[in-house]
Amino acid sequence: MRLYVAILLAVLLSLAGVLFGFWWAPFPIGVAIGALDKRARITIPAGAAAGMLGWAIPLVVAHVRYGLGPSAQSIAAIMGFGHQAAIPVALTIVLGTLLGAAGAWLGTAARSVALNARVDATRNG
Amino acid sequence: MPARRRRIRRLPLLNLAGALAVSAAILYVSFMPAPGLPALGTAFNPATGAWTMAADAQVTSRSFRLAGLEKPVKVVLEKDGTAHVVAQTDHDLFLALGYVHAKFRLFQMDLMRRQGAGRLSQIVGKVAVDTDRFELQLGLLRTAQLEWDALAVGGPGRAALIAYAQGVNDRIEEARRTHQLDPMFTLLGYTPTEWSPIDSLLIKGDMTQTLNFTDTPLVMAMLDKSLGADLTNEWFPILPPNQQSPYDPGPYPKAKQPQPVASMSITPVVAASAQAIHERLASLGVMASRQGASNNWAVSAARSASGGALLAGDPHLHLTLPSIWFQNSIDSPGYHASGVSIPGTPVILIGHNEHIAWSLTDAQNQQTFFYVEKEDPAHPGSYLWNGAWKKYTTLSYDIPVMGGRTQHVDVRWSVHGPVISERGQTTSVWWSGNLPSQDLGVLLQVDRAGNWQEFRDALRGWYSPTHNFVYADDQGNIGLISAGYYPQVAKGDPWLPMPGTGEYDVVGTIPYDDIPQVYNPPDGIVWSANQRQVTKDYPYYIGTTSNFFDPGYRANEIHSVLTQKDKLTAADMQSLQTDTRDFLASEIVPVLLKSLAKEKLTAAETTAVQLLQSWDYRMEINSAAATIWAYFSGWYPYEVFNPWWKSRNVKVAAGEVEGTLEQDLEAWTLGDPGNRAFSAPGVGSRTAPDAQRAAFHKMMPQIAKDLGPDPKSWTWGRAHSRVLENLAQISGLDYGPRADRGDGRTPLAAGDYPSTHGPSWRMVVDWGARAFYGIYPGGQSENPASPWYTDRVDTWFSGGLRPMLSADAAPAFATWDMRP
Repeated sequence: MRLYVAILLAVLLSLAGVLFGFWWAPFPIGVAIGALDKRARITIPAGAAAGMLGWAIPLVVAHVRYGLGPSAQSIAAIMGFGHQAAIPVALTIVLGTLLGAAGAWLGTAARSVALNARVDATRNG
Repeated sequence: MPARRRRIRRLPLLNLAGALAVSAAILYVSFMPAPGLPALGTAFNPATGAWTMAADAQVTSRSFRLAGLEKPVKVVLEKDGTAHVVAQTDHDLFLALGYVHAKFRLFQMDLMRRQGAGRLSQIVGKVAVDTDRFELQLGLLRTAQLEWDALAVGGPGRAALIAYAQGVNDRIEEARRTHQLDPMFTLLGYTPTEWSPIDSLLIKGDMTQTLNFTDTPLVMAMLDKSLGADLTNEWFPILPPNQQSPYDPGPYPKAKQPQPVASMSITPVVAASAQAIHERLASLGVMASRQGASNNWAVSAARSASGGALLAGDPHLHLTLPSIWFQNSIDSPGYHASGVSIPGTPVILIGHNEHIAWSLTDAQNQQTFFYVEKEDPAHPGSYLWNGAWKKYTTLSYDIPVMGGRTQHVDVRWSVHGPVISERGQTTSVWWSGNLPSQDLGVLLQVDRAGNWQEFRDALRGWYSPTHNFVYADDQGNIGLISAGYYPQVAKGDPWLPMPGTGEYDVVGTIPYDDIPQVYNPPDGIVWSANQRQVTKDYPYYIGTTSNFFDPGYRANEIHSVLTQKDKLTAADMQSLQTDTRDFLASEIVPVLLKSLAKEKLTAAETTAVQLLQSWDYRMEINSAAATIWAYFSGWYPYEVFNPWWKSRNVKVAAGEVEGTLEQDLEAWTLGDPGNRAFSAPGVGSRTAPDAQRAAFHKMMPQIAKDLGPDPKSWTWGRAHSRVLENLAQISGLDYGPRADRGDGRTPLAAGDYPSTHGPSWRMVVDWGARAFYGIYPGGQSENPASPWYTDRVDTWFSGGLRPMLSADAAPAFATWDMRP
């Protein structure tokens, strides 16, 4: 239960960060998630979910309010992808996801190293 | 420790290293731009990145505070984005206008000021360094600064520019705050700096450069040296060899300035230098477009079915998305005008007010002169002028380059203007665009003029680019005046590079009362389409056929149509704006058919001839004859001139001077079929019909190769299309190509394949009905996600117009209430 609450909190923080212009928020939030638990199989998906939802929810809201089709087509055209609207949408969501996942991986990995170092220190005296 | 355990102990470290590497990579591409790519996080995040264009595309009614306003201002937006600004003071009018322009066109405005100021490299990198260097050499920034310094403190021009700049800056601040900057800023990774009044003057300078900076004296020097002085003089005369229809037939006053008399020779060094400069300018694409033609005309009340004067205008420019134009009306105690503005400037450039309407075409007279400076190693940094060694003035600039080192450029100025080449021969350029003017102030006066006298008096101060200003008023009067600077040289051949030693300098301009102009002519019509405005009797030098008046086909067609009916209507004006009749075809095709009458033809050639026989000379999408003529009109000059070009190794592409060669060929075909030009080296003795037959036989296989074997299927729409190009050169945001009618010689101008130039704004005014109509291709918004990006395109393609309504009459799609 605590895990779900933590993930929900991470999503909300990530979302709030993005909405206030701190689009990179999923990364430090991912780091924080990773630092809380050493199980990568849990923290990395959790970080990825926080990043993905943090970036995707504003996108969905914008789509509902304004319709993102013309914008997605235009961004694709600017990027040189013709009018393949799916590409910038996918790129946006993937980038948010990667920011959260990378942060969580880094947090988990750092926690593991720190734990090992503490164990070593305990053993050595 | 056993090896296996050591490996296990190392795993967390390896894991951390991997996580660090991946995190660093993701953060790097998120924060840092890569070549050709923006910083991905900044660009694509959904809250402040490019996705904000979706919200920006929504325009709704608002009430908001605008810094600097003195009193409330109301802006009414029609459903197509046409903006009506109603203010209680003139100051507030310009401030609100600046805000509105920036709201819809800020990126365009930023690009245009950067172009003039030589600051494109700062946002696009080293690819623009050469262009920036040239612009700083040419001097737009210097001129804009001088113009600003010369503006009277407290005068209306200065006040308008200051208020306008504040409005632009209000929008920049708002857009920053609300993350609503145009997505191009986000994707290019920069935010616009504050707008200054000088930026508005720079944009006016951009237009001057676009319309009248030419290198034709350099081209003529190259022709003189390669084609030969005899043929160059014969084929590129001062006066047009063909029949034209000047709008000002005289009588003319006696010349009050010295005329060019001396004959000059081009040395190999000068010719080589001319070629080097010509190649540089061609590679930069900074010269006036030879396709930048325009039409305008007016009909007096006596010739109008409505009982009021009629006026029509369609300036032909590069067709871009967003358009060069923004449609708006301005209402304040001092101004009541409606029409189109160039975003970045606080004036209605083409439009009408309560009493008068006006439009403009480029006058095309020579405004660029090249001077070869005489130097001596014994006098370094100096040039000989009026018998004395004079030091160059040097101006220094830095060009910031995105992703590269700042470049430094020193620009040397002689009395003639900036030095633009020092390879082999120092050449400076005298360009009227470098004369500090008060042209924006002139336009403000035009916006307020109430009759011909005030209109003409206002234009007395107009310098450059020289324009044919057409006029019609609510009292039934019409007029046309080619206002601007007409440089006169003391002596020499100004169509060639001239010595810079002083004797050949520009000494002044044609007196204002003597420039081409007419008011209420007896036949009740005035018209211009970039043709030479005056006859051979005009006593002043205004330029040659190649520098660079239009061959006159559009003007001839317009004149012909306007004289066919006793009474004309606004619908006639609209119809003439989309007239696709090729005047040259109407002259040449009958001659061609006669030349082919006894010729042995293939089946396809016979069909082609039959198509031409039944053709009405209209370049319509479904016309196969139009395509056959279009091919012939290219092959015929090629057949005649290419052997000369090859045998004399001419360095100038024939296409660059095709307008003049076309006039020659027209004149010879109709009146001198035995001209020696048809008997080029290597082709033997020929006449015009011989060359026509040869061209016809040679072009047929080419058309079949391009469009298939059946001539009936060669419809013009298959060969000819139009593209509206995105201003930032993003091809994915272009409109088209779309099959379209017209060609480079029809009033509905559509030269080239695909055509990217043409009627950038069409306006028709009927004072009898007090009805005003206009349309431009594109839309009011530069945001490609906005419905106002291309919403006017279909109407424009179909030749339709939309009513230009007053603020009171315009149905409001949205209203902005601006508060101090």
